[in-house]
Amino acid sequence: MLFINSIVGGIFAGGLCGAVGALCSRLRLMTMAFSMAHAALAGSALALALGADMTSLAMLFAIMTAIMLGPLADYLGISLDLISMTLFSLYNALTFIFIISAPGPALMTESIGQLLWGSILAIRPTYIAYLLTASIIIIAFLVIFWGRISSILFDIKLAEAEGVNVKAYKYVILVIAGATITLALRITGGFLVFSLLYVPAAASLQLQANMKGIIASSWVLGSASASVGLAMSFLYDLPAGSCITLAALILLASASAYSKLEASLASGRRQ
Amino acid sequence: MEKNLGCYAVELEAVSTYYYGEKRPAIRDITLRIPAGALALIVGPNGAGKTTLLETILGLLKPRNGRVVTLGYEIPRMASRARALSSYLPQDFMKPPAEPFTAKEVVAMGLASNNPAGRLSEGDWRRIDRALEMLGMLEYADKPFGKLSGGQQQKVLLARAIAREPKLLLLDEPFSAIDQETRSYIVSEIFPSLLEDGCTILLVSHELGHSHMNADMIIRMADGRIERVITRDVHAIH
Repeated sequence: MLFINSIVGGIFAGGLCGAVGALCSRLRLMTMAFSMAHAALAGSALALALGADMTSLAMLFAIMTAIMLGPLADYLGISLDLISMTLFSLYNALTFIFIISAPGPALMTESIGQLLWGSILAIRPTYIAYLLTASIIIIAFLVIFWGRISSILFDIKLAEAEGVNVKAYKYVILVIAGATITLALRITGGFLVFSLLYVPAAASLQLQANMKGIIASSWVLGSASASVGLAMSFLYDLPAGSCITLAALILLASASAYSKLEASLASGRRQ
Repeated sequence: MEKNLGCYAVELEAVSTYYYGEKRPAIRDITLRIPAGALALIVGPNGAGKTTLLETILGLLKPRNGRVVTLGYEIPRMASRARALSSYLPQDFMKPPAEPFTAKEVVAMGLASNNPAGRLSEGDWRRIDRALEMLGMLEYADKPFGKLSGGQQQKVLLARAIAREPKLLLLDEPFSAIDQETRSYIVSEIFPSLLEDGCTILLVSHELGHSHMNADMIIRMADGRIERVITRDVHAIH
């Protein structure tokens, strides 16, 4: 049952991360997503120290970060990237303080392992239900608002000049990214969550030329990376996050090789 | 303030706009009224403030001083309403070859802000095809936007601006990559048809090379100020 849960959880978590990663990389929100991931990590560590629910506090930290990044950058008059990296340092510092403050021999517990490098033990039916709900919300958001989202993805300034509320859509995407990262954190761990966010997006750029195709294939490649990685973790008793990262990188290398081979065959046919 | 139904498409009163962190305004003390349905040509050397003026009119840049009213809406407070009725062709339009949208998708997304949730109807798709056809780009509709030449990309963006059936069309150096034949066609066929439909056109150019386009107003800018406004009957109003 644990194995089946791992595969199903991996399919949803990987797909969500892949699609959100494709959106964030296109909108150049990567450093903000980076900061949110570490906010979620700090939230989870605080939950560990307090004996509270890890997902709830991680979600709270990530979403609060998504909401306050823009206004904070405006208030301080510095770039979003710079404020994101400043908060990243703060969250890392807090994470280590919370871990050390956790009651008992914290560094020896399964919870710490789950926090830092992920665990298949985190994949329970309620967790899969969260993932399913998040998947439905994100697909609905993309399908319903695709006209305006695609306009923002093409050119932010032009979309704004045509009356699209760019700020609101960017905030929604950041909040979605925060929620996705929080959910994925449990299986990949805080330090490797980016492998699921950006490696599938990078791989799909090798295979697809159209934005809808890039998002869809990022979803599929993210699902494949996470489910294969979790299966490896289950079979060989290795850290889940590391196995997912390796699976994602193998897929990226394969996609890149396929793309190069296809390009050279097409060039050969033209000659 | 609700919509002010005046006879001016654009009204600026003592407007100064600064870029973030700059002490010197990019445009200063601009007072200007552009009648609805006019073709206004904004000319001047590089750095004169022409693009800043367009972006201030749309509320993309917030004026520090003065009052801006576009299509009857106070800017920047009600900018989104004015923008929904306007089209903008920016100066820096070029996209790289890997741009993941087709020419038709680029035109279609221009209509998204005017529809509930951005959904397009059958009629919208017909408008998109018509606009592409008008600019001679229908045969390239399914081509990736980034793989088109500079001139073709500019024509697709112009098709996007026209497909929105705007009340106000702001064009920033719209002919920078377009061939002479197409320029003449746009000036002699497309502009008159838009003006006839009640659209106001503001066209920015760094040189007065489009005098043949029968502009109703020529606004000459230099160093962030309006040097001179000339109406069609060559009657200076400033």
